[in-house]
Amino acid sequence: MSGAATKTQYWVLGEFNDSDALLSSTTTLREEKAGELDTYTAYPVHGIEEALGVKRSKITYVAFAGGLIGATSAWALQLYFNYFNTWHGYAVNIANRPPHSPPVYVPVTFELMVLISGLSIVGSLIAYFWGFPHPHHPVFESEAFVKTASTSGWWVSVTLDAHEKVEAVRARLEALGAKNVSVIEDAEEA
Amino acid sequence: MYLTCIAILLYNGVGVWGNNSPVGWGFDIINFVWWIGIGHAGTLISAVLLLLQQKWRTSINRAAEAMTLFAVVCALIYPTFHTGRPWFDWWMLPYPATLGIGPQFKSPLLWDVFAVSTYGTISVLFWYVGLIPDLAALRDHTKNKTVATLYGIFALGWRGSGKHWNHWKVGYLLLAGLSTPLVLSVHSVVSFDFAVSHLPGWHATIFPPYFVAGAVFSGFAMVVTLMVPARKFMKLEHVITIKHLENMCKVMLLTGLIVSYGYGMEHFMAWYSGSEDEFTLFFETRAKGPYAFWYWLMWFCNLGIPQTFWFKSLRTNLVWMWIAAAFINLGMWLERFVIIVISLHRDFLPANWSMYYPRPVDLMMFFGTWGVFGTAFALFLKVLPAVAISEVKELNHEMNHDAAHGHDGHSASSIEGNVAPAGGH
Repeated sequence: MSGAATKTQYWVLGEFNDSDALLSSTTTLREEKAGELDTYTAYPVHGIEEALGVKRSKITYVAFAGGLIGATSAWALQLYFNYFNTWHGYAVNIANRPPHSPPVYVPVTFELMVLISGLSIVGSLIAYFWGFPHPHHPVFESEAFVKTASTSGWWVSVTLDAHEKVEAVRARLEALGAKNVSVIEDAEEA
Repeated sequence: MYLTCIAILLYNGVGVWGNNSPVGWGFDIINFVWWIGIGHAGTLISAVLLLLQQKWRTSINRAAEAMTLFAVVCALIYPTFHTGRPWFDWWMLPYPATLGIGPQFKSPLLWDVFAVSTYGTISVLFWYVGLIPDLAALRDHTKNKTVATLYGIFALGWRGSGKHWNHWKVGYLLLAGLSTPLVLSVHSVVSFDFAVSHLPGWHATIFPPYFVAGAVFSGFAMVVTLMVPARKFMKLEHVITIKHLENMCKVMLLTGLIVSYGYGMEHFMAWYSGSEDEFTLFFETRAKGPYAFWYWLMWFCNLGIPQTFWFKSLRTNLVWMWIAAAFINLGMWLERFVIIVISLHRDFLPANWSMYYPRPVDLMMFFGTWGVFGTAFALFLKVLPAVAISEVKELNHEMNHDAAHGHDGHSASSIEGNVAPAGGH
């Protein structure tokens, strides 16, 4: 397991009885610098970002960039087909109306802005922000976790690189009132 | 039967429809606009009401979004086949053609291509992102291994991580923010198909807002039509309460009045503009012409019927609500019939006048889309959670948390226990 090519991580999992206990314990663990923290809940709990110390999602920038790319490319596309396509094709000329006509360019520009922005939001969520698909995560090794995490459980995980700290963190979680505390050893290719 | 009539249509061409000259648009466009309009309520409920923080939306949004998707599929069938040679439909997209010619970007019909395809795509994305946490719950609690694996594939490995919820919340809100102007733009673009032309009865600046209001009106009617029986058969009365249905009736009353204002304004403009063609269309052809019965039935359904929702006893009466919603669905279909067929069948030269009658293939295709819609919706109710599980739990949690702060959350679990089985079976 502990060969030179692998890196072992220890996931200490614990379940709390309610959201208040989860939030306060997570805050405590973060302040004590217990290790890499994450929580697992069936729905977004108010205040969890503060407890974990994570910043507001950067996805807003992705959405803005996507919208910008969509809008500019849509305008360019219409201009190309109405005007510049003479280079190797036929510019669309209906009744000699002006080739560059901003009012009629608006609908397609708007639609493509929304389309590209939406696609980049969902694409970056799945592939970048969530790192999905990720079906074999270490937390799923715990049967108690699978049983309650997606419906009613209030779980926290502490990820550790060093085996020495595992017992201390396990004891700390139990002292904070966690039940079903378990340790999962995860060896992954480094 | 539906596939048969599509086959007949493809083999013979669109000549099997009742469309003629001057009535070049018939059932195909009526049904397209009708279905797209129905779809709009789903987006309105899920996105607009989310932004307005209307908490009551939570129990109906998932089913309404599903309804949107299936309605868009039904709607798209019509323009796809109306092109006559649907295997060449990719000509509508801008691609580097060897022919050296691109699509006509100044035409509202091409705007429709972009509007409806964007609308369909964004609706799927919004629906799916909301569904991922619920799929994970199903994955962990389905006994059947194969089914659990299938749910697992679509859940992508969701584990409810707090860091992931952080991104989920912002992403979901952004998608709602995008969908809101999108849903308004889609029916505006659909109305441009008419308003940009010079035909009496079509050439009106009031068309975009009045089409959007009409879309919401018919969409809510369809949600009521589906949810009243669905909540009974799936025993969801405690999640989709009479309060939700009453709120939807209020929305129908409001949008019905906006639509009627639109009708009134069209008539006023026809008179006030002094245009003889406009005046003749509205006050002779529509009111007294051969289709007058359908015209007045439209007024009855869209202005008359919703007025009953002023009364709380009728607003909360399930049977009446369902009947009224059926009338509104009919009325909104008639509105498109009035706009399209009545405006077209008597054009500027009396020698060109002609009646429009739907042919068997028109009718069968229309009933066929009902079959597609009904089957898809029934499959959705069977396979996926009809109620947004995680969002209802969140709302429940917030309410219990506010009510009983400091107590350990025993109260929350009892109501959550009722919600979870809704998706599990």
